[in-house]
Parts: sequence; C-alpha cells; structure tokens
Amino acid sequence: MRRRILAVAALSVAGLTLAACSSDGAEGAEEDQSTPDGPITLDYWAWGTAQQPMVEAWNEAHPDVQVVHTDAGGGGDSSAKLVTATRAENAPDVAIVEYNTLPAMIVAGVAADISEYTGDLENEYAPGVWSQATFDGASYGVPQDAGPMALTYNQARFDELGVEVPTTWAEFAEAAEAVREADPDTYITTFAPAEFGGFAGLAQQAGAEWWTVEGDTWTVGIDSDASLEVADYWQDLIDRDLVLAEPLLTPEWNAALNAGEILSWPAGLWAAGVLNGIAEPMAGDWAMAPLPQWEEGNPSVAFQGGSAVVVTTSAEYPEIAAEFAAWMGASDEAAAIQIEQGQYPASLAGQELTLESDPPLLMPQQEDYWAVAAEIAANTVPEISWGPNVNVASSAFQDAMSAAVQNGTPLREALATTHEAVVEDMETAGFTVATD
Amino acid sequence: MSAEIAAAPPDRARRRPRSRWVAPYTFLLPAGILFIAFLAIPMVYALYLSFRGLRVTGDGPFGVQEETWVGLSNYVATFTDPEFLAGFGRLAIYGAIAVPVTLGLALTFALLLDLPRVRGARFARTAIFIPYAVPGVIASLLWGFLYLPSTSPANWLLGQLGLPELTVLDGGILFGSVANIAIWSGVGFNMIIIYTSLRGIPGDVYEAARIDGASEWDIAYRIKIPLVGPALVLTGLFALIGTLQVYGEPTTLRPMTNAISQTWVPLMKIYRDAFVRDDLSLAAASSVVLALGTLVLSVLLLRITQKRTFGES
Repeated sequence: MRRRILAVAALSVAGLTLAACSSDGAEGAEEDQSTPDGPITLDYWAWGTAQQPMVEAWNEAHPDVQVVHTDAGGGGDSSAKLVTATRAENAPDVAIVEYNTLPAMIVAGVAADISEYTGDLENEYAPGVWSQATFDGASYGVPQDAGPMALTYNQARFDELGVEVPTTWAEFAEAAEAVREADPDTYITTFAPAEFGGFAGLAQQAGAEWWTVEGDTWTVGIDSDASLEVADYWQDLIDRDLVLAEPLLTPEWNAALNAGEILSWPAGLWAAGVLNGIAEPMAGDWAMAPLPQWEEGNPSVAFQGGSAVVVTTSAEYPEIAAEFAAWMGASDEAAAIQIEQGQYPASLAGQELTLESDPPLLMPQQEDYWAVAAEIAANTVPEISWGPNVNVASSAFQDAMSAAVQNGTPLREALATTHEAVVEDMETAGFTVATD
Repeated sequence: MSAEIAAAPPDRARRRPRSRWVAPYTFLLPAGILFIAFLAIPMVYALYLSFRGLRVTGDGPFGVQEETWVGLSNYVATFTDPEFLAGFGRLAIYGAIAVPVTLGLALTFALLLDLPRVRGARFARTAIFIPYAVPGVIASLLWGFLYLPSTSPANWLLGQLGLPELTVLDGGILFGSVANIAIWSGVGFNMIIIYTSLRGIPGDVYEAARIDGASEWDIAYRIKIPLVGPALVLTGLFALIGTLQVYGEPTTLRPMTNAISQTWVPLMKIYRDAFVRDDLSLAAASSVVLALGTLVLSVLLLRITQKRTFGES
C-alpha cells in the first residue's frame, strides 16, 4: 500500500507541473476512481485535543494528501451529525467514531467496510481492541485510542482518612462505609445515573453481554443476571448513602471534587485527563489503580469510551482515506502525540511507547502509572459487542436510571425498562431479536 | 377582476391595471421566495417524512436501513407514547407559572415606568430589558450555577445563618426554577411592547380623567389596562407559543440534575428522537402534532380575547 501511495505522490507532482501548462494532465487518460489526478483533500471530523497536532503531522509528511480537520462535537454529537451529513451526501471522508456507536454508524450507512485495505494491520493491536471495530468478519475502522477501565482516586485523601485502596468491589463497599465514617461530608465515589458507558463497562466486567449476534439473530442482555447484580450492588450503596447519586462533571460535582469530598472515579484511563481539566491544582494528590474486581483474582476489565478512525461511505478515494486512517490509528508518530495529550493509544506499539513517557499531569508522582496502565490494558474482557441501537439504549438508560434515582425506585427496574426500549426499537426497525 | 379588464375599453385603461398588479407582487417576491424556501417546503417535507420510516432491508445482522412508507405508525407512536403526553403535562405546569408571572411583571413595570414624574425611568427601562439580550443558553448556565447548592450564593448565605440548604432543581420547585429563567429573560421584552403601547395613548385622555378626579390607580386600572388590551393579547400569544416551544432552559439544566429527563418537554423529546435515536420520521410526526396543537391553541386564545379587546371588529 505504501508503495502505491508513493507512486501516487510521484504522479501527482508530475501532474502539478503539467497542470501548470495545460489543463489535461498526463494521467488524465486513465480515469480511475481510486487514484486521483493530483493532490487531494480529505475531510476529517474528530474531537479532542490530540487531533489537530496529529493532522498537522500527517499533512507535513504527505503533501499529496492534505487533511482538513473539523471538530464536529464530541462522540454523540459528532455521530448524529455524521448520519445527517451522510444522508445529505456531504459527509467527511474520514471521521472518529466511538466503539459503542460504530454499529449504529454501520447500520446507518456511514461507516464503510475497509477490510480490503487493512491488510495485516490487525497484528498491531491486541485482539480485544481490534475486535471493537470488526463486525461480522468485516473491519469498519482503525482503533485509535482505548479506554480500559481503572480507578482514578484521590490518594492524598485516602491516606488522610486512613482508608486502603480497594481491590475488589466488596472491599470497595467497605471502604465506602469507612470513608463516610471518617468524614461525613465525603463520599468514596459518585453513582451517576446518566453514565451509560460506565455502567455498561461495569456490567461487562461482571460478565454481562448487552448485545450478541448469531447469524442474523440478535440477543439483548441488558437485563441479564450479571447486569442486575451490578445494579443491585450500586442500589445497596445508594440506599445506605455510601455513594453520591448525582450527575458527573457539573459545577456542583467539580466543586465537591476540588474540596476533596469525592474520592474516586471508576472510568476509562482517560479520566486522568478529564479530572486534570477541572482540578488542576490537585495534581500530585491523585493516582490510578486497577479497577476493583467482582471476583477476586479475575483482573479482566471492560472498556469505557475509546474510538476508531472510520472511512465513510462518502469517501471519494477510500483507499487513500484508509491509509490516512491507518496512520492516525497505528503509526508511532500519531501515538506519540496522543500520549502527550493524555490519550491512551489503542495500538500495541503506542502502548509500549507510553512506558517511556512521563505520567499524566494529574499524577506526576506516580512513576508506575503507565506500567499499571499496560497491565490493565493487557487484561481486558476479550470480546465486547455493541448493538446497532446503542444510541437508543443510552438515552433510555439515562432517563430510566435518573428517574429511578430521583424517585427511589429500584435500579433493576430501570435496567428492565432500558432492555424493553432497546428490544422494541430493534423490532420496529426490522432486526431479528431472540426472545428469551 | 379579469372580466372587468377584458371589458375595459382599449389602450391606456388596459395598461394601468396591469402595472397595478406588477408592483405589489414584485415587492412581495423576496418575502414570498424566502417563505416558500424556508417555511413552506420544510413544512411539506416534514409532513412527508412523518409518513416514512427507516426499516432494515438488507440481510445479515448489520443490514442497512432504508427509508420506506410506514403509514400512520409514526403518529400512532406519538400518541401512544406516555412520555410525550407527560411532556405536555409538565409544559402546562411550567406555562401556568411562566405566562402569568411574565405578563404580570411586564405590565406592572410598564405601568410604573409610565407614571408621571417617575425618576430614573430610562435607567430602569434598560435594566429591565437587558436580561432579554442575554442568550437563552447563557442565561440558563448562569442560573444553573446559582441553583446548584455548592455554587449558590443563596445557599452560602443560608449556611452562614445556620439554615438548611435549598435544593431548587428537584421536585415541584423545579418547575419554578425553570420558569424563573424564562421570566427573567422575557419580562423586559414584554414590558417594552406594553410600554410602547402605553406611550401611544393620547395625553388628553388622562387629562380628562384627572379633571374628573381619578387617581393614578384608577387611571391605570380603568384606562391604561383596557387600552393596552391588544398589546396584552399579543404578548400573551407570544408567551403561549414560547411556552409550547420551551427547549433551551431545561436542556441546558439537564446535565446538572437527575430530575430533568431527555423527554421533559415535547420539543426535547422531538430532538432526542431526531438526533439521538436517529428517528427523523417520528420526530417529524411529533413536530406536526405540536405545530397543529400550537395553531389550535393560538386560534382559541385569539377567539376568546378578540371580542373583548377589539370590540366588534
């Protein structure tokens, strides 16, 4: 593939010179959809601070393929706009899509099958990561960053209150109690009812499979026993007032966090970056530990967030777009920029590169941060598959869970409501759904 | 008309009526084109969309969805969705607070500013009007900070006095908190409309009243309020339509509380269906229902008030 690109580059330089004299270039004779006549421009939609410097690095190294970066909003917004733009036939060539919305993007006809261009790119990734962008044997994206779940916690306050950092969820509940006893204004963590991705991650860690597909038949497992047990676990903590049942990242939450009244956040590895944005003065107080386990001795965790670089069905030159996607996902140059900006790269080489990097800004004292991260990333739940209507699930979950917390009704019921909404939506849309 | 033209005698007489036709339509043209392009066509398209829907057509678990006719199923879904109907219920409570308070305050302020020998009128008018210039989302964010317990100065004061904290983004008081933002932004605008209408009342009416011994209170109650009736109907209509279109305030406050769902008011549900659930057709059907509802309510309001305020006309 690389040789081909070089050839294209050479041709386009020639094309440029010729085009200066006459309008019909030398290679204009062979009309081919996949090989452009001259330098081309790719439109790229992505969010996050790492994207612009990555695009600049690509543009510098590839004068023949210039990429224009647009920030079309975060995961949810960007995906919604991609669907609309695809229908209006003005979608970008390449875009970032979160793993859990990727199936919805495939069904909506946004993401293109790029299996024929990915070659042996698969070897650059751990199987659990690569599978996040592979469906039904076809590849729809190149993984860029990953968010294996960890526990980001306020080490200084844990020490001050004399509470050990828990390694299992049972210990976590005990620690939650100890924290409340030591300081009645303080909670060990927040149960944010709108955090669909976080809850899904915890349920997957407990062994739940929210969507599975066999042949043409989907099975939805949102109210499976494993998920319900996770719901019951948090229910107990909420009922005993051991966790704060409030939305995350509100001015209210941020103030409590900065006051040292919220001590931890179980979330993807990107949490350090997010917290640094709202609690910069607390740098040095925080640290990261592996997520508590449901069963002692089983270190597998799920992912929360993370995204892949997707070539859209609107791309005029899918092969070149795929080359760009591969570079953004798997190249060392791109990985180095991601690490600098606080993302955890999805590729193995990128993850190795982190070991030589400084710890994130929030925890400069934690020398082994990246070593711990690498260990977490090596133990992820092997196969996670998301369904074609994660958007519906996410919005139903947010409303049902918020209402449950608000009205004091069981979280279990909220999960069942979400499950029903998801199945109903899939049946209306015409998917075959197994009835259990 | 055309018969008249045909019957009209030759030459000059024929040319004049035609130019009489051309001028007004030429003036109407830009507005007409804009109306057709940005209002009529989207409306017809929304109506068309509301009878269509995305359904899986291809084989395989990731069969691509295509748009097909689905008949009235989007309308059935709209009317059988308890959340959509509950949204109207919440809207009614919100409107019952926001509309009378906004209009009441606007009228009071306008009457106060219109009193003779009132001091600082220009400053007060600007001060009351300024919140209207603050964009809705920013107003909601500002109020959001004021509402949240740990960033609220009111709670800080209460804490200093040893009183319990107030939570205003929960329970029944939530409606008041959301309405308060709209009232804060809306009073100024409505006050200006009513005030302008008050300034249009000729001074000799007041003079006559004063000679007859009427107090300022009598003048306000018996002369000013009845005479600004049309302005009150207009602002009332704006407030009603504004209520049915409530979206920005609750959407901005939603991330700050568990109490506001994504379907809290009808427009929020329409947004969710269109852009979160990728169901434009259902959103189109709900929009049509909401638009028709707004139309019916507006006509009713005008019918009821017209006879009283505009007399027999």
